[in-house]
Amino acid sequence: MIGKGVGRMSAVTAGLRADEEVAAFRGVSKSYGQVRAVNGLDLVLRPGETVALLGPNGAGKSSSLDLLLGLREPDQGSVSLFGGTPRAAIEAGRVGAMLQSGGLMGDVLVRELVKLACDVHPRGRRPAEVMESAGITELADRKADRLSGGQEQRVRFALAIAGANDLLVLDEPTTGMDVSVRRQFWAAMRAQADAGRTVLFATHYLEEADSIADRVLVLHRGRLIADGTPAEIKARAGARRITFELHPADPAADESLLRTLPGTVSLDVTGRIDGVRTVRIRSRDADASVAAIYRAGLFPRGLEVTSLGLEQAFLTITGEGAPFPQSSAGGTLPQPSAGGTLPQPSAGGTPRPEDWGKDAAADDSAAEEGKR
Amino acid sequence: MTTLIQLEIMRTLRNKRYLLVSLLYPGLLYVFFINAYHGGSVAGGTPAKSYFMVSMATFGAVGAVLSNSAQRISLERKSGWVRQLRLTALPGRAYTAAKIASCAVTTLPAIAVVFAIGAVEGVRLSAAQWGGLGLALWLGSFVFAALGVALGYAAAPDSVQPIVMIIYMLMALFGGTWFPVTGSMKSFARFNPVYLYNQLATFTQPGHPLDTVAVGGLAGFLVVFVAVAAHLYHKDTKQA
Repeated sequence: MIGKGVGRMSAVTAGLRADEEVAAFRGVSKSYGQVRAVNGLDLVLRPGETVALLGPNGAGKSSSLDLLLGLREPDQGSVSLFGGTPRAAIEAGRVGAMLQSGGLMGDVLVRELVKLACDVHPRGRRPAEVMESAGITELADRKADRLSGGQEQRVRFALAIAGANDLLVLDEPTTGMDVSVRRQFWAAMRAQADAGRTVLFATHYLEEADSIADRVLVLHRGRLIADGTPAEIKARAGARRITFELHPADPAADESLLRTLPGTVSLDVTGRIDGVRTVRIRSRDADASVAAIYRAGLFPRGLEVTSLGLEQAFLTITGEGAPFPQSSAGGTLPQPSAGGTLPQPSAGGTPRPEDWGKDAAADDSAAEEGKR
Repeated sequence: MTTLIQLEIMRTLRNKRYLLVSLLYPGLLYVFFINAYHGGSVAGGTPAKSYFMVSMATFGAVGAVLSNSAQRISLERKSGWVRQLRLTALPGRAYTAAKIASCAVTTLPAIAVVFAIGAVEGVRLSAAQWGGLGLALWLGSFVFAALGVALGYAAAPDSVQPIVMIIYMLMALFGGTWFPVTGSMKSFARFNPVYLYNQLATFTQPGHPLDTVAVGGLAGFLVVFVAVAAHLYHKDTKQA
């Protein structure tokens, strides 16, 4: 078993113990008619990683997993699992998978279904042990097609871990589970990762990615737009928000300095009729930003620094509007790249994902200017 | 693969619908026909109890395999179970093979139930004839198992049941299941697998050899159905 010898930390942080590529996408594209589900995907999974594949519905998560598992053939590029074809890896019993739409057999008991999965696996485990790990021991004598959504998910998880796999692929595994069951499920997933398995799971629950994964891939419109640790993803999106007001009565200062604050990812200024302006800054380095605000001679009122969760980071990266409640919806302007006046308050201007990299680059140069 | 086959067989035998459609229904119809003919003969001179024993056995067998394979395959393609199986080390054909194997097993009770009623009602055959007839009807049912697989891959789950019923009833109606096929209808019936299937039984009548034309015709249908099923299966595999 390859995954076992490699500790999670060494595999993840150093990337040096890359004895083996668990999975590799090389320039993979896949279209359905006019829709490009996967667009030039390049990706390598290393042994022992726990990887979250994050993206809104329709981002290409399921399509990517289908390609990874050989259920579909890419139009361009190649997919390999453990250095061979996906089918060869599955036949060798190295991959366990749980798909979103994996229906179960009718007229059979859960126990029989799990036994089937164990029997057909080249390195099958004991059915009782599998049911125990998946937390479905009490469902053993239930009919497999008479289960609630969450129970069915757990049975499908049991089918995925029926053998000693090296890679576990899960497509939105906690859909349909209530909160407490979801937490139990996460524990079961972690146990799989701790056993040295590489785990790749698609999700749109950001909490799930944040609390389990040590690597997060953000997929949007078929493209991989971010790849890093949860902390890096948050940092990349500007992990903190600085909010304050500027009152006309206070001593004036050069507000154009706002644009050159270090660490700024985005800046948003809205004005009220009485001249009070609200400034919202998304910053990668809030400490430096706040220090610079005071240094510039500004007099910020009601200054708040709040942490953005992975959820906010995700929204920023994908630029998907605001399906989740957030206070600063709309009006987030990308940092201007060249000198000029302050950005006008505006309702539009949500950064598009393809622009995101450019914004970051522009911001870096702006930050450097600020230091000079 | 044996576990999958075992499981497929077990779940079918457990299924109440199977018991009803394939065992109870042909059995009851058989009893009804015997009484309706008052121990007489059908057109052509065959005693009704012998004639309907064969036609009800084939009726039950065809019903068993069509509903077992076509409907299940169609439903399980939709539900994702077929995809789930493709993520196991089982070879791709295992699923279809298990379906056909379970069809093969489930036709036996359907044939046996009607035979048992026939024997009780006074159908007299030699041991060799009973065995030969049972074997012929059992082997013949594979043709319909292949048809069922093809239909299962061709039809969507919401339409598969009426499609199967219409095909099944038309083949039965013009295939000698309810009444003997006579006169000009015979020229059409030669292209009806159920008719050919029923013809397999003629060797049990005095002075009749095994109908080799029917055997050849069924073999032809088997080849066609298997080819269509294989084609549809591969097409389905590509679509994931």
